[in-house]
Amino acid sequence: MNTVSRDEVRSMMGDVLAAQGKPLPADELTPLVDIGFRSLDFSELALRVEDETGDELNFDAPGLRRIETVGDVLDFLEQLQSA
Amino acid sequence: MPEYTPIPPASCVVVSGASRGLGLALATDALKRGARVAGFARTVTPELQALADAHPDDVHVAAVDANDSGAVAGFLRDAADRLGPLDALVNNAAVGQDSLHVHTSPERIGEIVQTNLTAPLLLTRAFLRRLTARGGRGRVVMVTSVCAQRGYAGLVAYSATKGGLDSAMRALAREMHGRVLVNSVAPGFFASEMSSVLGGEQLETITRRTPTGRLVEADDLTPIVGMLLFEDTNIHGQVLTVDGGSSI
Ligand SMILES: NC(=O)c1ccc[n+]([C@@H]2O[C@H](COP(=O)([O-])OP(=O)(O)OC[C@H]3O[C@@H](n4cnc5c(N)ncnc54)[C@H](OP(=O)(O)O)[C@@H]3O)[C@@H](O)[C@H]2O)c1
Repeated sequence: MNTVSRDEVRSMMGDVLAAQGKPLPADELTPLVDIGFRSLDFSELALRVEDETGDELNFDAPGLRRIETVGDVLDFLEQLQSA
Repeated sequence: MPEYTPIPPASCVVVSGASRGLGLALATDALKRGARVAGFARTVTPELQALADAHPDDVHVAAVDANDSGAVAGFLRDAADRLGPLDALVNNAAVGQDSLHVHTSPERIGEIVQTNLTAPLLLTRAFLRRLTARGGRGRVVMVTSVCAQRGYAGLVAYSATKGGLDSAMRALAREMHGRVLVNSVAPGFFASEMSSVLGGEQLETITRRTPTGRLVEADDLTPIVGMLLFEDTNIHGQVLTVDGGSSI
């Protein structure tokens, strides 16, 4: 399966936020609540990653609920791709 | 007008998903109320086996997958041979869900629909065919959910199956006239293996949004299902919601 690198995912995350007029902070410890990145935004990002890899990344909500920071988003999408 | 004769109280109750959680509580309660009980799940837990061991003449249990219609038919046959005519059914077995619709695989959606909607429809059909063939009268209770009435994120396919069962229940109530009383009991969230995926924060939010201030428990549900199985209520084709008012 094709994979999308952490840097590419980060840049896609920037695109999702930019479309809402919000910047992506450089600090990976930034809490998602502070930048208004909600679960549906995560879905959009995951689906964009799927578009690139050509594979579905299905997952349960408990994993999603543990995501709190920008770094968590990047980690989770890395894990999903390697699962 | 023919004279009205009430549907007799259940004497032999089939409970699907009787191995734990609400199903085990319902099987135990039906037994306490004097009925014989036939319960199945994919795994017979020590608790269900203990119930059977303690009441060998009144309880029949087996490991049966609700999605295996041949095994389900065999179970009904064996249960009736051992316990006598089956005159009540509680469709309780189900699998849960906790995933956003767009991130739930088509296979998983298929499994949820199969177990929570197709399997209970087929079990009900098999049960009613036996009952109807011998001119029997009886009762059917569907255990559905408040999710059929209100939107909850992460439960799209699950909610569809519960809404589907409520709709089927009403149509069935018409088809069976007054010969079989058919109703649903729709619980709010209660603690069980199914709801264990919910985090403490979510349970707190649900409790806060519940007017009575407490989550539902199996003990809130057993009297309602018991009433539908054993009492002469004239309740037919209804969804009885037990959720502490959370869905109002
Ligand atoms: N818990 C809640 O918050 C909640 C809220 C509203 C409604 N409900 C409904 O209440 C009912 C009972 O739920 P619960 O919370 O007690 O769930 P639970 O603890 O997960 O028990 C589910 C039961 O169904 C059985 N089951 C599942 N798939 C089966 C299959 N393919 N064939 C046969 N048996 C199967 C399970 O046994 P095996 O796994 O061994 O097969 C178990 O006995 C369900 O209809 C559920 O949808 C629950």
